[in-house]
Amino acid sequence: MGNICVIGPRRSGKTTYLAALAHSYSLQKNKQKLTIKPLNDESKKLQDKAQDIICQGFSFEPTVIGSVIKNVDDLPYFSFKIDINSGFLRKTEPIQLNVRDYPGEVFEKIAEPNLADEIHKEFIEECLMNDVVGCMILLTAWEAGADSFYRRVMSRFIELMDQKDRLKNLRLSIAMSKSERGEIWPGRLDPETDLFNLHLPTMTLTLKDLIPQENLRFYALSTFGVLEQKIDPRPNRIDAMGKEGQESYLRDAAAWKPYNIIEPLYWLSTGK
Amino acid sequence: MHRPTIVVHLIINIYLILQKEANLGVIYIGDRSAGKTHLATELANPNNNYVRVNSSYFKNAPTATDAQNSIYNKAMELQIQLPSGNKQLILDWIDTPGEIWRKHWQTEKQSEWQHFLNTLKQTEGIILVLPPYRQIITANNINRDDFITEKQWCNRFNRWVNFFRYECPQIRHLLLCLNKADLFCDYEQEGQKLGYLPYNSPLNWQQRNSYVMQRYFRPISPQIQQLNQSISGLSVRCFITSIYNRNLLELPWIYLGSFLN
Repeated sequence: MGNICVIGPRRSGKTTYLAALAHSYSLQKNKQKLTIKPLNDESKKLQDKAQDIICQGFSFEPTVIGSVIKNVDDLPYFSFKIDINSGFLRKTEPIQLNVRDYPGEVFEKIAEPNLADEIHKEFIEECLMNDVVGCMILLTAWEAGADSFYRRVMSRFIELMDQKDRLKNLRLSIAMSKSERGEIWPGRLDPETDLFNLHLPTMTLTLKDLIPQENLRFYALSTFGVLEQKIDPRPNRIDAMGKEGQESYLRDAAAWKPYNIIEPLYWLSTGK
Repeated sequence: MHRPTIVVHLIINIYLILQKEANLGVIYIGDRSAGKTHLATELANPNNNYVRVNSSYFKNAPTATDAQNSIYNKAMELQIQLPSGNKQLILDWIDTPGEIWRKHWQTEKQSEWQHFLNTLKQTEGIILVLPPYRQIITANNINRDDFITEKQWCNRFNRWVNFFRYECPQIRHLLLCLNKADLFCDYEQEGQKLGYLPYNSPLNWQQRNSYVMQRYFRPISPQIQQLNQSISGLSVRCFITSIYNRNLLELPWIYLGSFLN
């Protein structure tokens, strides 16, 4: 099974998203039952951290290039096994996900015409290697101005894909994260139309123009989810001022039910 | 053909892993009479809640770090009960005498001072123990003049801010512990309010931090903000501690246990 990389701007919730994946031991999706098992030490540690940090009302530290992460080999590498059981008497389908979590600044630096320094170049090169089957791009902003920034980043990313001969053979799942937000939640059912075409039109058009249709999908996902989908759709999160502006914390650990977190990875991994 | 390369890679990787492990030290520092040694010694009390210290050296530990005795460096093994299970942490406890911050001490013990600075440069977690200031004291049976004023306290903290900014670029967790809570608040009530339970804590970490910060650290909140912004990746968290309340005593360590690998 190939590797998947998760990229996105700073504070788009990449590590928290992966922690939710490690924490959500069992999920129900329509008639399918999904069982997630962390396979390597790093994903087990992430599972523990989800319990000790997120469930205890704190947020993760940002993944930054610096003292701990100096090069690509220092990046956390998570490995999960997901068993998909589609119903009684059906064979369980196992998939293995190997995921790398990239620092947000790597994504943001893509927009610069010449990748600013060696380290960012190295990160992007690793992200576009041949054994990477897909790339999950987590985006959060939808307000005015975000579209043009994301379009610039995507155009440049597509150029880099082309240079590495990955334009036709790398799946991209573009996901709006933190979809529990009131403005986003109603658009989750048809994210391509109601979120991406509407709020990020030029970025979406650029992607659709240049990436083969079968290699591009749009998703909405929510790591924290809402309190109760039918009766209390308030976000299961609290926003407070933190070190770098607004930070989000889980509101009610007992009600924690992430939304749509496996689908993008499943598609990246299997194409189904 | 490729074996020597693989061996070299392995050696480099092992070196990098060891180097990474060595960087995970936690240092315990503070001004004179802040109560650093007392706090750590009390932590070893077997009547624990969620933090247990496995270390025999406390038996011979002095009640205050002798100024002449310089830096006191020992490994400290902690077992912390977290929701995900028990976590073992081996920490470097570097307890410094208050005098270490005085110019004459730094000149007289230049090599020790340099060694200390080098250790700090690699550390990821620092517990800074602060004494209470005169205006915050509410206890009656105590001479308030023995404590520094709020202004002096703020000035001293400014010195720490500069120290951390220039000497500790790698620091990821800075825990500010306003010690001797028994002198400035109803520590039993606060202990109950802030106390940690693995599953049903009355407050979560974020709520605890804002409560303590707003209530007890207000005079230095601009400096805390400045510190947070000046060192990339640093989280500054505020605690109150007392040797008379186990809940308050254990909180900083539980916090570190949750975050450090």
